Amino acid sequence: MSNLSSLSFYIPELIIIIAILLVIVLDVIPVCKKYTFPLSLGAILLASVFLWQSYGESHGLFMGMISIDPFSHFFKMIFLLSTFSIILISRYEKQLDSNYSAEYNALLLIVLLGMFLMSSSINLIMIYLSIELVSIPSYILAGMLKNDKESNEASLKYVIFGSFASGLMLFGLSILYGITGSTDIGVVTAALQAIEYPLSIYFPLILILVGFGYKISMVPFHFWTPDVYEGAPTPITAFLSVAPKAAGFAILIRVFYTMFTLEGSVSATLPLTNINWPTLIAVASAVTMTLGNLLAVQQEDVKRLLAYSTISHVGFMLMAFAIISPDAVRAIMLYLFIYLFMNLSAFYMAIFASNKLNAHHINDWDGLSRKNPVLCAFMALTLISLTGLPPTAGFVGKFYIFAELFKHQQFYWLAVVAILNSVVSLYYYFKIIKSMYLVDVEGEVNKIEAHPVVNWSIILFSAQNILFFIYWEPLIGFIEKSINLWSG
Amino acid sequence: MENYSTILALLNLFLPLLSFVILIFFGKKIGNSAHWVALTLIGSSLGIAVSFFANVFVDTGGPILETSVPWFSTGSFSVNLGFLINNEAAIMLLVVALISFLVHFYSVAYMKGDPRYSRYFAYLGIFTFSMNGIVLADNLLMMYIFWELVGLSSYLLIGFWFEKESAADACKKAFLTNRVGDIGMFIGIMILFLSIGTFQINGLIDGVHNGAFAGNMGLLTIAGILVFMGAVGKSAQFPLHIWLPDAMEGPTPVSALIHAATMVAAGVYMLVRIFPILTPGALEFIAVVGGITAIMAAIIAITQNDIKRVLAYSTVSQLGYMIMALGVGAYQAGFFHLTTHAMFKACLFLCSGSVIHAMHHALHELKDHDTDPQDMRNMGGLRDKMPITFWTMLIATLAISGVPFFSGFLSKDAILAGTLSYYHLHHGWTLFLPIAGFGAAVITAFYMFRLIFLTFFGKPANDKVYAHIHESPIQMTFPLILLAGLSFALFFTLPLSVNPIDNHGWFTEAVPMIENAAGLDMHVVEEGIHHAHYTAMGISLMVAAIGIFLAVLFYLLRKVDAAKVAGMANKLKLYNLSFNKFYIDEIYNIIIYKPFLALSWLCSKLDWDIYDQKFIDGWGWLTIKLSDKSGEVDYNWLDQKVVDGFGKITQYFGKTLQSTQNGVVQNYLLGGMLGVLLLIILIQQF
Amino acid sequence: MDSLQSYLIIAAILFSMGIYGVITRKNAVAILMGIELILNSANINFIAFNRFGGMENLDGHVFSIFVIVLAAAEAAVALAIVINLFKNIGSVDVDDADLLQG
Repeated sequence: MSNLSSLSFYIPELIIIIAILLVIVLDVIPVCKKYTFPLSLGAILLASVFLWQSYGESHGLFMGMISIDPFSHFFKMIFLLSTFSIILISRYEKQLDSNYSAEYNALLLIVLLGMFLMSSSINLIMIYLSIELVSIPSYILAGMLKNDKESNEASLKYVIFGSFASGLMLFGLSILYGITGSTDIGVVTAALQAIEYPLSIYFPLILILVGFGYKISMVPFHFWTPDVYEGAPTPITAFLSVAPKAAGFAILIRVFYTMFTLEGSVSATLPLTNINWPTLIAVASAVTMTLGNLLAVQQEDVKRLLAYSTISHVGFMLMAFAIISPDAVRAIMLYLFIYLFMNLSAFYMAIFASNKLNAHHINDWDGLSRKNPVLCAFMALTLISLTGLPPTAGFVGKFYIFAELFKHQQFYWLAVVAILNSVVSLYYYFKIIKSMYLVDVEGEVNKIEAHPVVNWSIILFSAQNILFFIYWEPLIGFIEKSINLWSG
Repeated sequence: MENYSTILALLNLFLPLLSFVILIFFGKKIGNSAHWVALTLIGSSLGIAVSFFANVFVDTGGPILETSVPWFSTGSFSVNLGFLINNEAAIMLLVVALISFLVHFYSVAYMKGDPRYSRYFAYLGIFTFSMNGIVLADNLLMMYIFWELVGLSSYLLIGFWFEKESAADACKKAFLTNRVGDIGMFIGIMILFLSIGTFQINGLIDGVHNGAFAGNMGLLTIAGILVFMGAVGKSAQFPLHIWLPDAMEGPTPVSALIHAATMVAAGVYMLVRIFPILTPGALEFIAVVGGITAIMAAIIAITQNDIKRVLAYSTVSQLGYMIMALGVGAYQAGFFHLTTHAMFKACLFLCSGSVIHAMHHALHELKDHDTDPQDMRNMGGLRDKMPITFWTMLIATLAISGVPFFSGFLSKDAILAGTLSYYHLHHGWTLFLPIAGFGAAVITAFYMFRLIFLTFFGKPANDKVYAHIHESPIQMTFPLILLAGLSFALFFTLPLSVNPIDNHGWFTEAVPMIENAAGLDMHVVEEGIHHAHYTAMGISLMVAAIGIFLAVLFYLLRKVDAAKVAGMANKLKLYNLSFNKFYIDEIYNIIIYKPFLALSWLCSKLDWDIYDQKFIDGWGWLTIKLSDKSGEVDYNWLDQKVVDGFGKITQYFGKTLQSTQNGVVQNYLLGGMLGVLLLIILIQQF
Repeated sequence: MDSLQSYLIIAAILFSMGIYGVITRKNAVAILMGIELILNSANINFIAFNRFGGMENLDGHVFSIFVIVLAAAEAAVALAIVINLFKNIGSVDVDDADLLQG
């Protein structure tokens, strides 16, 4: 579609772009400064409305640069929801300097735009640009606490590792361009089918995997994750642990399912001849979840523990990715959706604890259930869900992934590894529950109330664990409808 | 009628949950009258269970209630939620509801004054809810979900007094150990589901019957064994039985409800439900695990001094019996023993609770905080002070020891007949099963009477404490009397037979032998059991008598004599020695000594000297050593090596891996780069 | 010197130098320079492929122009972070930034 006619399908993105510009402009006008917060939230709501309206359409825009299709819409909804929630919650995080709140919001909106592009790019140029558009503002966001040594160090490590990984990916893309002669992934796909020497595909494939793997924290490109998550302001950690991960999976699925499969579409079931990347992913998945879990067991800092737990969840999702089938994509999308909620609620609980009690260490959470029984009950629910025990949504997510694995009758060893891992994960999640419930503090205990926004965010995001356990059919139906990628 | 029954079943399921919800949210306000809420709701649930149970006597030719609604269906999945109440389920429902009700009733007095009184009843409510869910579920997925929920409620109740470090540890251990089994069960369920395409138990049975695994029975065997893993965890079978003795850290009524009568029996019940799809291979495995558990736990129970731990090991051993019964195909006997055991074991636990309660109060009045109120060595002579507790406990002990006229005799006898017939059919190593069965029977009688003698007979260990002991209040003794009453054989044989040693009664009518769809010929099994019946009865009578007799010699007579004259002890020993030598020598070669010794050869460096010693010494040494060794295997090996070992390995690798995350960003880059090289090498290998 | 091969060799050398620099240099600014080398090696690849690969459109050229722009943006942000690091810990040696570990 031509550039001009594409614009009418590009309204949600345009709204975000306008909002970014407006926020930056309003920030310099003293009287208008306070409007940037409602403006950001309003823009996201408006974008959601337009996005919802256009759900189901499937087009290639801007002369084959990006595509809109139900698949990208599904992910865009996840991005909007998480960004909205993070902007809202950040207002009540006392670590953040409110003088910079406009810049902060603008940066979050830029990341949002980048993620929109990530989920819908169909051109190598756009793939690289969108990943960078997400990464660069994220570096700044991680270092938002300028005078905090840890935050600063986090952003340094992030920028070095991030640009290194994307540099490697770029080199891979350049070779891919060389052997196929195009940057349009439709053409690239067709050209790759004709290449007889798998050796020339290995190199770009692995280098591209570096770029995506770094985004989703796949071992061995996970090294930045715990350090950045620990040092960054907690709302940013929460954000990074869900939204860019989802974007990473979106682009991973789109690129790998089209370029590196025999059928070249989402209904694919076989990898390119002689290129057995699914086994590679399976190995990486096993290593990722094991490493994440084993290191999480060692952690005493709640944020760092959750960082490692994120890595292990990524390993779980990769497990389904190793099976090339539309059902596996569905399992990943379901898992991501549930994971978004449970992880956010866990991080919000960490925000609550660090704001009110200055608690970072697990030991600081001792006897928290007596200080705020309601939130602790929901936190316990979230943790049970993260472990994947019934009756919670986490169980449903794990169930679908295991079901895929068994149904396709490959990688039984991977199932064994995953099951052992879920036993390990029980240990460290229950360490938090134990601290909240089973360790008593001496003396008088004062009740601590969270700000209503924080309070209800935790409760809502946690309550879905029960809701989606009982009634996930509409959700899975919606996801099934969303597995529909635009192709040429 | 169908709808009416469905509503009743739903009420039966959700009333206990209602109790939980009310008490959790309004517990503070309700305070000390929490038990009224719980008793009313559980009582109603009991009423419904009775009404279902009444249908057992009406032969309709089909299940009492079978209903299911679609839960979700999408693409290749279709999962239903539903109830299936057949005769087994109706009996199990009644057992759960009855014992739950009695335990609630009992707890009113037992838990009086506890700071979390209402919380306690709330937890009992959620437990009863989850247990009813397991009983009612018509499909394995639903059963698995409730299976996890009972695990959770058991976790909450074991750790109820979480101020005690040991209780907090015990609940964690129970939960983790159970998870190991549950994981196996989950995989087993998934294999069944993916092969047959349904979770419905009846659908699975039909599927196996129609040859879904034809030519691939090995997979079905593996699936059966994996599902059995769940029972290994929940029903505390070897090698996952380690959690149950520790679970005694919970309040005693909880032990009676969860860790004796209902939850631990859930594993057996689950196997009863899926029995038709278990292949002979899987059943063989199940029988062996059950046999090992039965004999091993019994041996351990001999040397325990904590009254609750004796009962805990006894429970493990009896569960081993039930599992073994299912394994040898004596489906009916296993379920029968589950029912009778629920009654008398709940009674035993509640009696021990009554004793502990009395001891605790006596010690409290004396301000003595050092003496352990659960240690039998601190008791003695309580018979006169606590007559009701004594008589009810004696009845339950007679029942568990397998004395005629009591319920345990009938069910145990049927199991032993099953093992004998299994040996007749298969020969060879299967001799182990009857030996384990009869051996455990001797030991059970022995240690149970040891418990009775140490607690209720002899001289009081401490006169001051003895003076302060009182019989427990009526809220506690009433359940004891009722449960002791239900330990008589008569209740299980009416109305078809009034002959107390004949097990044909309503129960055998209600739970007929069913067909096995996986290749086991049940007619042969039934025939064999029928033939072995009288042999088994004879031997089991004999072994029960031996056990009781030994206990009398060791703990009743010796105590009396030893108190009078110190020098008599030696004489007594000689007396016993000569007496037993004559007595045991025959059995020595047949059942006890050789296999014991063989066992000891395997797991210990038992001295040859002992072999030469006279039997009483031999017996004493042997059992004590074996017991120590099994205890050692249990605690040092299984507990520390396997359970802790897993933790240690995790910790070790965690620590090692931690050095990769050393904070220097260039090491991260190097790691990433090496990763790239590794991936490039790896992808060429695949 | 007008064959594809020689340009690719140059690019490969640059790429290797970049990685070597990134992994060995302790100075944060030097590491950033290493990253620039990696990006530029990719640029050379793009342009060489476009020039010698017989491609009809200018995708490779366009790509490399975008990469140059992004490299500038990335460098700006990274340098700002390094300056902040210097303010906080008084050093631009990446080994000194190891507060977060474990």
